[in-house]
Amino acid sequence: MELLDRYLQAVRKYLPLRRQDDIIAELRANMESQIEDRESELGRSLTQGEFDDFLRKIGHPMVVASRYQPQQYLIGPTMFPMYLYVLRIAMLWIFIICMIVAAVVTPLTEGTGGAVVAAVFRTPGILIQTAAWITLVFAAFEFARTRYPNICPQIDGLNKSWNPSTLPPLEKEALREGKTRSFAQAVAEIIFSVLFLGWVLLIPHYPFLLLGPGVVFLKTSPYQLASVWWTFFGWIVALGIMQIVAKCIDLARGTWERRSRIQQIVFKIVGLIPVLVLLAAPGHIYVSLKNPAVDQAQFGQNLAQVNNAIHLGFSVICAIVVLQLAFDLGKWVSEAYRRREAAF
Amino acid sequence: MTVAENTFENLRLELRRGCLTLAVLAQLRQEHYGYTLRKDLAERGLEIDESTLYPLLRRLETQGLLASQWREEDKRNKRFYRLSPEGEQILTRLLDEWNSINASVSRILEAETAPNSQAR
Repeated sequence: MELLDRYLQAVRKYLPLRRQDDIIAELRANMESQIEDRESELGRSLTQGEFDDFLRKIGHPMVVASRYQPQQYLIGPTMFPMYLYVLRIAMLWIFIICMIVAAVVTPLTEGTGGAVVAAVFRTPGILIQTAAWITLVFAAFEFARTRYPNICPQIDGLNKSWNPSTLPPLEKEALREGKTRSFAQAVAEIIFSVLFLGWVLLIPHYPFLLLGPGVVFLKTSPYQLASVWWTFFGWIVALGIMQIVAKCIDLARGTWERRSRIQQIVFKIVGLIPVLVLLAAPGHIYVSLKNPAVDQAQFGQNLAQVNNAIHLGFSVICAIVVLQLAFDLGKWVSEAYRRREAAF
Repeated sequence: MTVAENTFENLRLELRRGCLTLAVLAQLRQEHYGYTLRKDLAERGLEIDESTLYPLLRRLETQGLLASQWREEDKRNKRFYRLSPEGEQILTRLLDEWNSINASVSRILEAETAPNSQAR
């Protein structure tokens, strides 16, 4: 019987304080009756092994005690859909706010790339904290609702106060996946892409195609573009060629109606390269002096400010493009998951 | 355990849960303490684990469906349970529901087997 006492002592530890004695007394009476019955059947006392088996069959003390607890979940099935909805909305808005702060407010107030990166890395911590607070509030409400049903208002869940006429209209499949392109549109896109590429290729020889009358300023000013712009230019041309090739392949395969989501995402990822090239410019120099020996004293300070401003601008552009890419990737993964679920 | 077995086990437990409550309430039209109740139910073919039955009795009592009292029997204090007046009303309604579901399922199963027997 010492083992029974030890077992009941272990169960007691996990029981609600107020009902410990009562439950243990009842459990003891039931278990002792059961043991007596078993022993009278066998005509002898239970062996140590049989006693172990008996207790094992009843269950681990923590499991046995947990069955006496009124609440078995943190957030119950009535509250859970509301909790999930609030959590999703809160996470989305906090993410958007954090990104606006990181991409717009931080560059304007602190003005360094490092501060932007630090602001971006703070986001997961803020999201986790928000999720924890929302979970805590819902868990507390659930606890109060379950423990004190007479004091707390009963929640009917989302079932009672909704109107079927407020349901959103049907979404058309085509609208969800983007507009389809006709053959003529696909051909026109290729023609305009080729013309655009031709225009880009002519810019180094005829800068007025880009700058217009401003080209005079470029010639007469003491500034010149740094060599990083040539690398940037090379990537822009390569991207243009890549897009034309992909569009031609779509046309040849008869798949011009809708560009695949993977292709769109790949283009967006590759499209980041030119921006990253500019961000990684050595010494963040985008503009330099034609004759430093002559003009350094007069234009040197302005030059540093211009280079910093350009770098800041590209940091913001890069942050926006990365955000858009992350959003597209998330949307793509979610659509793929929904399709997979629907297939099953 | 395979996925199918796991699914079956979950559905079986779900099906049993309500039935156990009904059986316990019905059996407690006569006074019992935990262990004898468990024995009686087992003799009638309904095995229930101790760790399920004893907390269930507590829950039903908290809900006002059972009344209990501590009493000495065979030199041991035991907690005896019995259906309360409110529990009797609820049991009557639950039995009506049970009979209605049972009859519906039987009709569904008969309708399923009837075309097959006609085809033969």
